[in-house]
Amino acid sequence: MELRVIEKEATMVSIEIAGEDHTFMNVLKGALLETEGVTAATYDMNPEQSGGQTDPVLTIKTDEHTDALDALEAGTERVIQKSDDFEAAFEAAA
Amino acid sequence: MMVPVRCFTCGNVVGEHWEEFKTRAKEGDEDPETVLDELGVERHCCRRMLVSHKDLVDIVAPYQ
Amino acid sequence: MQDYEVEFVERGDREARFLVRDITPAFANGIRRAMIADVPTFSVDELRVVENSSVMFDEQIGLRLGLVPLTTPVDEFEVGDTVTLSLDVQGPGREESTETVTAYSGDIVTSDPMVEPADENIPIIDLKPGQRLELEADAVLDRGREHAKHQGGVAVGYRHLQRVEVVGEKGEFEDDEPHILRGVIEEQEAAHASAGSGGEPRNGELVPTEAFDHDLTNRYPGKDLEVVDVPNAFVFHVETDGSLSVDELVTRAVDSLRGRAEELRDAVQL
Repeated sequence: MELRVIEKEATMVSIEIAGEDHTFMNVLKGALLETEGVTAATYDMNPEQSGGQTDPVLTIKTDEHTDALDALEAGTERVIQKSDDFEAAFEAAA
Repeated sequence: MMVPVRCFTCGNVVGEHWEEFKTRAKEGDEDPETVLDELGVERHCCRRMLVSHKDLVDIVAPYQ
Repeated sequence: MQDYEVEFVERGDREARFLVRDITPAFANGIRRAMIADVPTFSVDELRVVENSSVMFDEQIGLRLGLVPLTTPVDEFEVGDTVTLSLDVQGPGREESTETVTAYSGDIVTSDPMVEPADENIPIIDLKPGQRLELEADAVLDRGREHAKHQGGVAVGYRHLQRVEVVGEKGEFEDDEPHILRGVIEEQEAAHASAGSGGEPRNGELVPTEAFDHDLTNRYPGKDLEVVDVPNAFVFHVETDGSLSVDELVTRAVDSLRGRAEELRDAVQL
């Protein structure tokens, strides 16, 4: 996973995440939107055939009290937490 | 030729059930519907793989 | 933080249906996609053919062998690892009365007992007198997004859990058209339900639509109904080709999502 920061301000970050696809990006986007301080989160990804930018570009906007990169970190933590909780619930039922 | 290993549509392994399906339904006189149900070949995409198959090795072999 | 609730509707080694409550559509879809494309399984990828005098070309044999599911133990191998298999079958000899000998997936000999064909009765090729198939094959561990033969999950998907509400009686002269539904319903109106097949109806029970032949008019005769999707409740249908069990497939799919989140977190923290 290689990261390339495209734009960075205090309450906004745009970052390219090489090698990821919809499977993870949509989960991450969904988690970010549930994270406190995040006002907007989206990702953009083009199909292989487009010939241009094909790696997903994640864009996060936050309120003035939150740093965008901290929000991204909190978002990943949230995905980890979700995975742990799901696995625990699944194993309890299994 | 030979029976497909998997269903073209869903990827379920159907080759596993061919021999039993052949002896019971194609050569035997059981109802193909009940045989497929008992074999656990549920979806119609997998069912057509077995129902419509014909072994051709015996027919092709002499011309090799 | 999240309070997931998992309940099995149907449970087998290779096929299961389970309900998950309070899961976001994004996360449900992530798990589904990971089960299909990101959980690696072993599959034959390369052959060294010693002799093939059968009616099929080497490439055709290779394709068939690739599709045979191979058992994949958890955490023993990494993506890209290979295991060698071999197959040596000969057509019938002169003194034998049979016309054909079939090479089955069960005839495959493995160098590592952890990786072996999951099914034993898949015909690979019929061999006539004088024909012979002898080869060595390398099975590679890889993911479904590289090639469908590495896909562990078959027909993996989910549907919303559905709730049926009785809003009134059907008019006396109304058409009795069937009301077809597929999936699993959460029994809410047990007082109105006719048992049909599948036990005494009780509120809160999960009823697969097969129980009433997918037709709601069998379950609630003469009632006017409304069907709603229960928000954030999904019924997963998971089937595997035998290379892993359902439990392994699901937990490894979630593991792969978690692994990527951890990787991203560590990259951001730097």
